[in-house]
Amino acid sequence: MTRAEFVTRLKRGLAGLPATTIADAAADYEAHFDDALAAGRTEAETAAALGDPDRLARELRAEAGLKRWEETKNPSAAAGAVFAVLGLGAIDILILLPILMGVIGALFGFFMAGIGIFVAGGFVFSAGPFMDPPGGPAFAILGGIGLMAAATALSAVTGLVTVGLVNLLVWYGRLHYRLLKPAIEPQA
Amino acid sequence: MPEAIETQLKKGVLALCVLALLSKADSYAYEIASQLAKDIDMGEGTIYPLMRRLQSDGLVETYLVESTSGPPRKYYRLTTAGRESFAAQKSEWEAFAKAVNDILGAAA
Repeated sequence: MTRAEFVTRLKRGLAGLPATTIADAAADYEAHFDDALAAGRTEAETAAALGDPDRLARELRAEAGLKRWEETKNPSAAAGAVFAVLGLGAIDILILLPILMGVIGALFGFFMAGIGIFVAGGFVFSAGPFMDPPGGPAFAILGGIGLMAAATALSAVTGLVTVGLVNLLVWYGRLHYRLLKPAIEPQA
Repeated sequence: MPEAIETQLKKGVLALCVLALLSKADSYAYEIASQLAKDIDMGEGTIYPLMRRLQSDGLVETYLVESTSGPPRKYYRLTTAGRESFAAQKSEWEAFAKAVNDILGAAA
């Protein structure tokens, strides 16, 4: 493989990441080729010693995805981290997918329930006092507030569980590719 | 499968070896990669995702050194956290290696 081919494949594997990240990674390998050339090695030898650019791109991509998740715990970073781990082949997608679907479904259900209860609480709070409720208007107001608080708590707990689960997946993915997956597989 | 065990062992100590090299002197990736490739026979490309991880974990930092030929070269040095992590990992490794050696010695 030539130097140009190696860098092209690496960049293609990194497509979608921020331009600076791709440029940084490409610059690292360009510098490696420069140094190897200065040491008297050919492009083909150097490319062979570096290994498969597609695999290297997947590891770099995973690193970027996991880092973003650690910095910003938002849904898009979570999705990015999950896909980055999947991209490494650290976890078999056929095993993970049904589990993931179930878990996402359950979490989604909890969030929806949270929203529903909150809306119901809001209704009891605002409309309840005018509907001559049992226990008087104050009871309806307090009951409404109570429902809204419960809904908020439910959503917050669900949020924490979601963050925890993604962290767990990230931890597993990292452990897997650091120690178990071919970081140093024999280079063909 | 002896090769499999060897490969697993190498992977586990790769980060430790990089920290050890950097604890002696700042270095650049090609130098680190070629040294480790020579000594423990790893794929040279592996060093780059690893350096990026060590950097994002705050164990190493980079600086540029002007070069007479070509673009400035990126050097890596250990951070304070990197030195601490190296010291901790080194003593863990030594304890582990000693235990394994003792067992191997007893078996021989």
